[in-house]
Amino acid sequence: MPVSTRIIKRRIKSVKSTRKITKAMELVAASKMRKAVEAAVGTRTYATIARDLMVNLSARARKPHPLLAVRPVKNILMVMVTSNRGLCGGFNVNIIKKSKLVIANPERFAAHEGETPALTSLVVGKKAIAYMRKRDVPLLAAFDKMSDTPSFTDALSLTRIVIDEYEKGAYDTVVLVYTDFVSAIEQKATIRQLLPITQTNVEELLNGTTGGTQNAPLAMSEYLFEPNPEKVLNTVLPRLVETQVYQALLESAASEHSSRMMAMRNASDSARDMIDDLTFTFNQARQAGITRELAEISAGAAALAQ
Amino acid sequence: MTQNIHFKIATPERVVYDSDITEVSIPTQDGEITVLPGHIPLVSILKGGELRFKKDGQELAMAVSGGFVEVRSGSNVVVLADTAERAEEIDIERAEAARKHAEELLKKQDFVNDVEFATIQAALERSLSRIKVARRRGRR
Repeated sequence: MPVSTRIIKRRIKSVKSTRKITKAMELVAASKMRKAVEAAVGTRTYATIARDLMVNLSARARKPHPLLAVRPVKNILMVMVTSNRGLCGGFNVNIIKKSKLVIANPERFAAHEGETPALTSLVVGKKAIAYMRKRDVPLLAAFDKMSDTPSFTDALSLTRIVIDEYEKGAYDTVVLVYTDFVSAIEQKATIRQLLPITQTNVEELLNGTTGGTQNAPLAMSEYLFEPNPEKVLNTVLPRLVETQVYQALLESAASEHSSRMMAMRNASDSARDMIDDLTFTFNQARQAGITRELAEISAGAAALAQ
Repeated sequence: MTQNIHFKIATPERVVYDSDITEVSIPTQDGEITVLPGHIPLVSILKGGELRFKKDGQELAMAVSGGFVEVRSGSNVVVLADTAERAEEIDIERAEAARKHAEELLKKQDFVNDVEFATIQAALERSLSRIKVARRRGRR
């Protein structure tokens, strides 16, 4: 008997139970994903309009508002959104890879060549905490109890810290690293400048494609502010920053769940292939055993007949 | 030819309304403003209350709470509200209950902090504008 049928049987059983788990996780992730995607897509219009408005205001504001003021960058704060749990395919790997762009090249933010701004991080998710510890990047704050479906209040507490620290002058620029949900099978890790509010494309800055220059301000129509520019900016700007953070949290949640769903689906599929393979081997072994037994019996009978 | 305003109301949760209308009255911090086609670009702070607009000669109302309004060139009006509901979506009994609850809480006066106070007051304001909008619709 080449392979023991009993051993194969045991293996089939173990793969089957693994498949049950991955299948269950797939279904759970799928239903969470549906909710998360709905929330992310629903907020998109609001966030897009808010960002347009924000960019318009930044190009237009005559009196510099603290959230619009561009200062020479000496300290960078990186806000990074990851998941609390693993088993979600490349989700955390991709976002960490993206954050390396900032960690490895802080000097690209510097106003003058030769300076290297200090980097601090504010993270969401246990995976980012672990990574920042490993890389020895100081942590300003860590949120590891974010729910699967982030609420606006979650975004508020995070934004509060960011805006307070920024207005104090502790940091001169704040970048946001998160995963943009494109579709169930495609999620894109993205870097965006949160503060000051300008049109700088951080990704290009880091890749060196624009050489650190800013885009020319768009031609803006004259805006009327009611009751007055200061009041409007004071209300609108923090709100817009909150919206950007909220959107990032939602997009990341949607990406996490869809990426987990895909990972679990792949796992279930390969478990099924494995079961098929093993069943085939099992049947072969069983048949080989039967044939051998028959051969033995008929050989025995032939020996008796003689 | 009558001109139209491209009008959009978005909340963080969803796009509540998106259509072409002829005029809109928006509650802002400085009082109600009415926007007609061709209005110059404007940014203002939205106050909780009743937002009315005309579409095809018919007047419609919505209950909104804080946020902001952006009027863009080219007759585009965008309202970014914290919450917004159409009159027909409002459950008047629930809104009444919410109002009573908020009023009771305010009467107690022993607040832990300002944030709590502000939250309750915002809730009260929200329920009041909901009731107002729902009542208006009921009358007609």
